[in-house]
Amino acid sequence: MMKLVPCKVVENREVSPGNFLLALTVPRAFPAPSPGQFVHLRISEEGDPLLRRPYSLEGFVSKGRIRAVRIYYSVVGRGSRILASQAPGRFLDLIGPLGVGFKPRPRRLPILVAGGRGVAPLLFLSRFLREKKRPYVFLFGARSRRELYGVREVRGGRLHLATDDGSVGYHGSVLDLLKREWADGKHTPLSTEIFTCGPHGLLQEVAEFARAGGIRCEASLEGPMACAVGACRGCPVPLGHGAKNGRYPAMCVEGPVMDATIVDWERLP
Amino acid sequence: MKSSLEVRIGSLTLRNPVLVASGIIGYGAEYEPLVDLSAIGGIVTKTVTRHPRAGNPPPRVVEVPAGMLNSIGIENPGLEGFLDTKVSILRELPCAVIVSVEGEDTREFCELVEGISQSGVADAIEVNISCPNVGPHGLKYSTDAGLAREVMTAIRPLTRLPLIAKLTPNVTRIAEIAEACAECGADAVSLVNTFIGMAVDSRTHRPILGTVLGGLSGPAIKPLALAKTWEVAQAVDIPVVGMGGIARPADAVEFLLTGATAIQVGTALFADPTLAERCVEGIEQHLKTIGESSIDALIGALEVPEGRGVIRAGRPVRPAERRGRA
Repeated sequence: MMKLVPCKVVENREVSPGNFLLALTVPRAFPAPSPGQFVHLRISEEGDPLLRRPYSLEGFVSKGRIRAVRIYYSVVGRGSRILASQAPGRFLDLIGPLGVGFKPRPRRLPILVAGGRGVAPLLFLSRFLREKKRPYVFLFGARSRRELYGVREVRGGRLHLATDDGSVGYHGSVLDLLKREWADGKHTPLSTEIFTCGPHGLLQEVAEFARAGGIRCEASLEGPMACAVGACRGCPVPLGHGAKNGRYPAMCVEGPVMDATIVDWERLP
Repeated sequence: MKSSLEVRIGSLTLRNPVLVASGIIGYGAEYEPLVDLSAIGGIVTKTVTRHPRAGNPPPRVVEVPAGMLNSIGIENPGLEGFLDTKVSILRELPCAVIVSVEGEDTREFCELVEGISQSGVADAIEVNISCPNVGPHGLKYSTDAGLAREVMTAIRPLTRLPLIAKLTPNVTRIAEIAEACAECGADAVSLVNTFIGMAVDSRTHRPILGTVLGGLSGPAIKPLALAKTWEVAQAVDIPVVGMGGIARPADAVEFLLTGATAIQVGTALFADPTLAERCVEGIEQHLKTIGESSIDALIGALEVPEGRGVIRAGRPVRPAERRGRA
């Protein structure tokens, strides 16, 4: 059950230019979130920005008396710029955990495909898989070496990197890494599943690859939200590809993790 | 002494004047863990239409300075879907339930009012004749006094529930529409619905909202909404339910002073789900501060100093005179 709780900034650190790791302590009453879920964070009590911002979780820490959520975010606009200026010690509040997270199936090899800051919920998922002692493949692409946040965290899985500038790993798109995984015939649609998060263009390409290959594929979506609890209907996800049309699932309660192969990516802003 | 916050809207008595506006908390269940409904006067449901609506294509919301533009388009399960899936939840809510309805024509309004009335779930009906996001019929009945009369006259005999006509601010003289509703049996008017607005992306040369135009809400519209509330409160004898940009308890008090009998909180509740409860506490505290025990001491109690009139279209109107006529 979601809760509205106060939270305290304990860390808000720029880990690479424009990208921040935020850690917020939450009360014991805050339910443990699962990978792919998000929180609706109030960035300012002064009403500017007016609306909360939805952030998917990079992780959740529960150690002794400490309970904290971690958010990996980029400065992209007013809200995130103000968030970046919140120093440790500041109190904010958040609603969470919200939405539907990743649903890995038993006896399938999870292949995680991350692009840029979209790595956040997949790092959370990889830690969950490691705790379950499940093998997985982690494919991570970013613009350059310094944006490959969290790679040292990926343990217990097979990690492959790609950068646009070739500063480390494969020189090109993470999509090529995904295609290469399939090239030698070791995976089948029944033995694997894909979990992805990243920029719209990448998600669309991964979804098309999965649909063409008949592979199960879940993507964590991003978009503006007002209430984030399913009330205002402000975050519709357009569906296509044979999925029932004439209805818009709300990203906040039926997502943010959704079956990527039925999303109409052309109509999703 | 505990102050009395009770107000009346037609035959409905609200334990306090704070309501949550339509479209904000769905049908009550969505926000249940976050909003203490037992502390507030009531909620207005998401609008119900005659037939199910999928709503408008995305994007449907965008934040703008001190406000939000939306073009949701009344996504809802339709009358039958509402009766099947929402009524049982609404019955359990510990506050007044005002059901909002919107029809494409007078006949649909009649069917909705009859259906909602017979369900027994509503304490009142808000007649949404002011949605800017559903096509031409959305604003039709609240931008033309004759059409407002037509719809109110048609639905009035169909129910004994209080009828609250929700008005658009997108008119030159809102008082004229309010008067038409009052004359045709409305028990109250609520205002304002959103102001028509748009947002443009200068990089892509495209509109941001999927429907180009949307409705503006949030603190940005509070001064506009106060002016409309003031105008209508001067013109009609029925209760006025004021709303538009209420983001803190003092805003609620301002609407009461301006002549609103009850108020609705909207967009700002997304940021602070406790806002409605805080408004109740704030009004109570305000009464204590001024040494009054009844909410009546605040409603319409705006003091306009001698010599300060209201100038409209070059013609000064003296508020006291107008009120005296009523």
